[in-house]
Amino acid sequence: MCGIVGYLDKTRSNAGALGHTVLDMLNALSCRGPDSAGVALYGDTRDGKLVVRVALASRNDFDASAAKILAAAGRFGAVSDSSITDCYLRFQIGAEVCVQPLIDAVESAEPGTEVVSLGRHLEIVKQVGSPENLEATYHVSGFQGTHGLGHTRLSTESRVDLSHSQPFWGHGYPDLAVAHNGHITNYHQLRRRYEQRGIRFYTENDSEIISIYLAIQLRAGHTLEEAFESMHRDLDGSFSCVVATDSQIGFVKDQFALKPLLFTETSDFVAIATEEVAIRSAVSGNYAVREAQAKESRIWRK
Amino acid sequence: MAEVTCEGRSIREINVAIKSHIRGGDNEITVRNPGGRHNLGVAILEPAHVTIEGSAGYYCGALADGSTVEVTGSAGWGLAESMLNGTAIVHGSAGNGAGAAIRGGAVIVYGDAAARAGVSMKGGLVLIGGDCGYMAGFMGQKGALIVCGDAGDAFADSMYATVCYVGGKIAGLGNDTVIEALSSADVEFLDATLERYLPFEIRKTKPSGKNFKKIVSGRRLWNFNQRDRKIWQEAL
Repeated sequence: MCGIVGYLDKTRSNAGALGHTVLDMLNALSCRGPDSAGVALYGDTRDGKLVVRVALASRNDFDASAAKILAAAGRFGAVSDSSITDCYLRFQIGAEVCVQPLIDAVESAEPGTEVVSLGRHLEIVKQVGSPENLEATYHVSGFQGTHGLGHTRLSTESRVDLSHSQPFWGHGYPDLAVAHNGHITNYHQLRRRYEQRGIRFYTENDSEIISIYLAIQLRAGHTLEEAFESMHRDLDGSFSCVVATDSQIGFVKDQFALKPLLFTETSDFVAIATEEVAIRSAVSGNYAVREAQAKESRIWRK
Repeated sequence: MAEVTCEGRSIREINVAIKSHIRGGDNEITVRNPGGRHNLGVAILEPAHVTIEGSAGYYCGALADGSTVEVTGSAGWGLAESMLNGTAIVHGSAGNGAGAAIRGGAVIVYGDAAARAGVSMKGGLVLIGGDCGYMAGFMGQKGALIVCGDAGDAFADSMYATVCYVGGKIAGLGNDTVIEALSSADVEFLDATLERYLPFEIRKTKPSGKNFKKIVSGRRLWNFNQRDRKIWQEAL
């Protein structure tokens, strides 16, 4: 039992409310899983610069770690707007950098650090605890943007820490984020196959394989629609997923419809959630909500 | 005519308020601002009519015996689950397992139903005005499942003696199903049931009784028989 949500503001008439809306939706689902909570929010572009969010290893001195990481990143381009909030270091860097060498340099600058998200629009914030704690630490309700997704976790198969929390970034693929409710039963088999190809896993959470899988599909030139379609062939188990890129948000449900997922679309917004109570408690108005069918997927562009 | 507002109240307080109105002799109750919350109007054992203005979450109208619970929005998982008798009406769509394990009464959805409508029903009626999803009617033991629109994959899988009727297309039949010719009694039952439970505006867009397909169990999974080994292997 996890709770996942997604929201797309189509009009931008309510600009500034994105973080608030996603958080309201998530709060309504916190009883489904209070182990950890997180959001992936898509803001406006910062002159095309990449925003990098790094979880610092908690045992270290944050300022000293940050200085080492910023120095390492600085070799790839001009670093700006760096800040530390709780255990996260956030900074911006020129858009032309090669992503994977930058990630490798940042993560090897200080052992135990992880690039939690990277993209021109995407920012992921997640931590152990309920969505209420997330707001108290990071004030995500103030985040302005176009679309976003969220996750509140009941851990069933791997440890509870920041790294194992969701949403997952599609490591190495800018602006890709995934929130998953379910279990991927061919996880170990797929993981072995991917590791043989040199792909790094950051966690033992089976949900991480979805973000890795989608990043591979998109990098190979497939559309998100095609990637959703092939998930039914390549992933076993139950999955209700909300997925976003810099310009899209969508969902996909497994062929057995084992996990709930509902959605609504109006001329103003798209909302996706594990339970209708999440949508109703965040967005007022007269709209119809429907549960997705088995194998159903939908994608909207911002 | 009583009103119960959900805002600022726990589910228990809402359901206690509904029941205290019923005990006080008020059998017409409107529930406002339900907000998709779970367990609304459960276990009502009197012939009261509870109208939920908006959407309900999981198990709405479940464990009922004789009540009518009407939802003007949509309903979540387990609509009217394990109802003994009574009626549940949803104007919008229903989530997974609408009418699951009911023993009697009628579960009416004007819109679509998600997966597993009428799963393991043991009597009564499940009527879906629109389409139904994956595995509707799975392991149905008794009663009738009517789908006016299209049915999803694995329809009526591994049933005992539920009788299913589909007005539209069937994406795929489940294990051990047989399509049977409609009898005049079936057509009469379908026309009478649609007329009784669907408002005219909705009914007029649906096929008439004679245009439904009837699906029943092939009875080959009821008891193991060596000569049916293959169908057992496929089913399991």
